[in-house]
Amino acid sequence: MKTSTRLMIVLGVLMISSMSLTAQAKLSGTEIMQKVSDRADGDEMEGTLTMTLINSQGSERIREIKQYIKDFGTIEKKIMFFIRPADVKNTSFMNWSYDDETKADDQWIYLPALKKVKRISSDSSGDYFMGSDFTYDDLGDRKVKDDTHTLLRTETLEGLECYVVESVTKNDDYMYSKTVTWVVKDRWYGLKKEFYDEDEDYLKSLTLKNVEQINGFWIITGTEMKNTQKNHTTRMEFKGVKIDAGINESNFSERMMKRGL
Amino acid sequence: MSKKNKKIRLLLILFLFIAINLPAQGLQFSGYARSYTGILLNDASEFSILQNTFNLNIEDSRGNVAFKVNPYIYHYTNEDLQIGLREAYVDIFFDNMDLRLGKQQIIWGKADGVFITDIISPKNLSEFLLRDFEEIRMGITALKADYYFGNSGIELVWVPAFTPTQLAEETSLWGRSPKFESPIPGVSPTLIYDYSQKAVPASLENSEAFVKFSGVSSFIDYELMGGYIYDDDPSMHVNVDMSVDSNGVPQPALTLTPQHHRLSLVGGSTSMDIMGYVVRSELAYYSGKNFQVNETFQLGPMGMTFPSGLEEKDYLHYLIGLDFSLGSTKLSTQFIQEYVLDYDESIIQEEVSNMSTFLINRMFHNDLLTVQLFSYYDITNEDALIQPSVTYDLADGFEIVSGANIFLPGINNDYLAYFGYYDNNDMLYLKLKYSF
Repeated sequence: MKTSTRLMIVLGVLMISSMSLTAQAKLSGTEIMQKVSDRADGDEMEGTLTMTLINSQGSERIREIKQYIKDFGTIEKKIMFFIRPADVKNTSFMNWSYDDETKADDQWIYLPALKKVKRISSDSSGDYFMGSDFTYDDLGDRKVKDDTHTLLRTETLEGLECYVVESVTKNDDYMYSKTVTWVVKDRWYGLKKEFYDEDEDYLKSLTLKNVEQINGFWIITGTEMKNTQKNHTTRMEFKGVKIDAGINESNFSERMMKRGL
Repeated sequence: MSKKNKKIRLLLILFLFIAINLPAQGLQFSGYARSYTGILLNDASEFSILQNTFNLNIEDSRGNVAFKVNPYIYHYTNEDLQIGLREAYVDIFFDNMDLRLGKQQIIWGKADGVFITDIISPKNLSEFLLRDFEEIRMGITALKADYYFGNSGIELVWVPAFTPTQLAEETSLWGRSPKFESPIPGVSPTLIYDYSQKAVPASLENSEAFVKFSGVSSFIDYELMGGYIYDDDPSMHVNVDMSVDSNGVPQPALTLTPQHHRLSLVGGSTSMDIMGYVVRSELAYYSGKNFQVNETFQLGPMGMTFPSGLEEKDYLHYLIGLDFSLGSTKLSTQFIQEYVLDYDESIIQEEVSNMSTFLINRMFHNDLLTVQLFSYYDITNEDALIQPSVTYDLADGFEIVSGANIFLPGINNDYLAYFGYYDNNDMLYLKLKYSF
C-alpha cells in the first residue's frame, strides 16, 4: 500500500510538472514579457548604485548614486542622490511613474548650484543616463504593450533554461528597432538582452552579472552594458540592497531632494 | 607685513588646519579650485579677468542637527585676496518642520537666469551677469522656517538686515554710470555722488520678511509668495544746481543720492509638464516702486532735461517659459515682460519692456562634451548677450570650459541699455575647474 501510494505521489508530481512545462511551453512572447514585468521584487528597495564607465582605451569613470524606490500601489516613486563624481555631488533626481499607461512619468531634478528643484520633461527616455550606456528607458519599466513580442526559441544559456523573445517596437521613432531577451524560465528575469538600432543594426548587449535572492525575491545586483558601435561599456553594481526595510513616504519629496542624504 | 596680509595668512593657515585635521571628526568636505582667464576681443586684447578661486564646503549632520560653512577665496593678479563666507548656517530638523539660521542663499521661483520672485538673496553683479549662478547669489543672514504637510509647505523668512545687490565699481569693466549731455557746447554737468543715504541701518524696524506657500503635484508645481522688502534698485535722488559762474557760463551740477526704499510685493510661479513640454510661469506685482522721471530745467534760453525726479508706480514683472527636447538636444526659451502701471510719459523706463532668453544644450561622447548656447535678447532695445560655451570633462572632477560673451548693440547703447552698454566688452574665456 505504501509503495503504491508513493508511486501515485511521484506520478502525480510528474504529471503536474509535465502539465506545468506544457503550459509554459505554450506561453506566448507577450505572456513571457508580462511575467518579466510582473515579477515580484518587493514594494520597497534601497541601495547604492555604482556605475563604472569604460571607454575604448580602457580608462574608467565612476558614478555613484544612492537610490530609494517605493511602490504606493498605482504609483511608484523613486528618488536618487548623486554621490560621485564630485561635480554632481548633492544633485538629486525624483521620478513618479504611474500604472496608468496613458500617464507619463513626472520627474524633478535638484541642482545644488542653483539651489532649486526643477521639473523636467519625462520625454527624455532615450537619453543616456549620466553618460553611461543605459538610457533612462533601459533603467525604467518599458510597457509590455509598447512592443510586439515573439517567442523565437528556448535555449540554455549559462546552464539556465531560457526563453528567447524578440520584441519589435510599435513606434517607428523609438531608438531601438527591436530587442532580443533571454528570459530565465520560472525566475522571469532577463539573463541577456541585445539591442538593435533604428537601422536594425546590432547596437549593444546587456548581460546579467549577478543576481541575489533577498527577502525571497530575485534581485539583479550586477549588470554590464556593452555598446559595440561606440566600443564603450558600463558596469552597474547595486550594493547594500534592502528590500521592504521601511522607507518613509516623506522621503519622496521636494524637501528631501534639497536636504539630501 | 601689513595687518591685512597677516590676517589673510592666518586665515589660510586656518583653512589648512581644518582641511588636514577635521576629516577624522566626520566632517564632509567638497568644493572646487578654478582658474579663470578672460581676454577682451578688442584691439588691445586686454585681459578682462585673471582669477583663481578656491571654494570649500564643510558640512556635518548629527541626528536632527546639521551645519554648513562655505568659505571662498578669490585671487586676482595685483590685488589683495578676497576671502569671504558665502554660507554659514545651522539646520534643525523636526518631523514636519525645518529651521535654518545663519548666512544662507535662498532661491525662489521657476525662472532661469532672470530674477522675478527670486529676490531674497542679493546678487553680486560685480562681473555683470557673467559669474556662475552659485556665485551671483550672495548669502544673507536670515532665519528660515519651513513647515511641511504632504507635498505642500509654508516657508517664512526673516532677514534682520537688508543687504543690497553688489554692483560693479564705476571704474571697472562692468561699471555703468549715467552720462548727461548738455545742449550747450562745452558745458557738461558735474556729477557728485552722495552715498550717505545708501545704507539701510540694521534694526528690527528695517528688517525684511517673506512668506511662500508651495506645492508639488503630478499636475503642477506652484509657489505663491509675498514680501515686505527694500527695493534692491536704489532710487536716485537728484538735486540739480543750475548756477552760473562769474563769466556767465552755466555750471550745472547734479548731486546724486542713491537710497533704497520700502516695497511690498506678491507673486507666484508655476511649472507643469504638458505632453513632454515643461511650461513655466512666474509673476511679481510690486506696490509703490520708485521710477526715475525726467525733469526740464532752464539753462539760459535753453531747457536741459535731467532724470532728477522720482514717481511711485505699481509695477508688474512676469515671465512665461518653455523647456523641451528635440532628440537629445535640450531647448529652453523664456519671454519676460516688465509693465509699469498707470504710466506717466516722463518716466525714463519704457511702459512695457520685453526681453527673451534662449538656451540650447547638447551632450556628446557619453556626456564628456557639452555644447551650449545661452542668450538674452532685449526685444525693446534690440541689444543682446550671446554666450556660447564648450565644456569637456578631462577626468572625473576635472573640467575645462571655453566660451565667449558677445554683447550686441541695440537701438540705444547708453547707460540704460542693459547689454548694449557693454558692446566693447566682448570676450573669450577659458576655465579649468577641479571639483572634489
